Amino acid sequence: MADGHLFSNISLGGRVGNNPGQFRLHSGGVAWKKQGGGKTIDVDKADIISMSWMKIPRSYQLSVGTKEGIRYMFKGFREQDVSNLTNFIQKNTGITPEEKQLSVSGHNWGAVDINGNMLSFNVGSKEAFEVSLADVSQTQLQGKTDVVLEFHVDDTTGANEKDSLMDLSFHVPTTNTQFVGDEERP
Amino acid sequence: GSGDGRGPARGSNELVAYKNVNDVPPSRDLVIQVDQRNEAILLPIYGSMVPFHVSTVKSVTSHQDNRTCTIRIFFNVPGMPFSNDNNLKSQGAIFLKEITFRSKDPRHSSEVVQQIKTLRRQVASRESERAERAT
Repeated sequence: MADGHLFSNISLGGRVGNNPGQFRLHSGGVAWKKQGGGKTIDVDKADIISMSWMKIPRSYQLSVGTKEGIRYMFKGFREQDVSNLTNFIQKNTGITPEEKQLSVSGHNWGAVDINGNMLSFNVGSKEAFEVSLADVSQTQLQGKTDVVLEFHVDDTTGANEKDSLMDLSFHVPTTNTQFVGDEERP
Repeated sequence: GSGDGRGPARGSNELVAYKNVNDVPPSRDLVIQVDQRNEAILLPIYGSMVPFHVSTVKSVTSHQDNRTCTIRIFFNVPGMPFSNDNNLKSQGAIFLKEITFRSKDPRHSSEVVQQIKTLRRQVASRESERAERAT
């Protein structure tokens, strides 16, 4: 394969856990296919609006954000892959991947950021976790200060994981100025 | 009197589960875990293990309904005995208040809930002892 970079052991992160597969970065965009067949992802470079790197435990994660507001998380890159791929990405898409940092401090207070379909919870300038609002079945306001996000749960949810996320809620104190009168809708 | 789970007011700087990304223990499975040594719980959210310092946990409950268990974790938020109200930094901050998981494994579910409760109790009593000695 003359064109691009191929990695055979890159996991796709997301709601149902991590799926190992094959990742390809080529001049036309990004592709991923699940090991043993099944799910495939093809993102044309014209549809990519953002990319970012994050150091995660024992590897690096590449996030690819699309025009449709979807963000794909690919995990399992090594440190040396980061600079190689960054060069390739810059040359081919003109996008310079951002560098994000993962929060591991264990704090439960921070800020909520909504970008496309993704909601991230950030502690300081670092990201603690992300969820996709596309998987939210219902949002509820509890009292004046609490926002509950309920996630779709069915028998196929969490096929790979023993414990799967059902809902989470945020406490937005009245002193918070970010979401004044905001319904926080997906 | 001090209510259950009341801890001393500690600065947020001291309440740190891990200093570095690589300190987070490796895990092959996406299951709720307890890291005794670092006094942290690790929760599987979107394919990542997300740590929370056990001192941020207010309470944890589990429910069993036929073969489905739910584990619900409540975190400390402002206006409660143990919180960082006086920490200016957290003013205006948004708090993760509660998170619920569905578990396929009843044994794991009750074990991990017990572990979180025990660790929480240990850390809370150690901290209140420390606070008493300091006064």
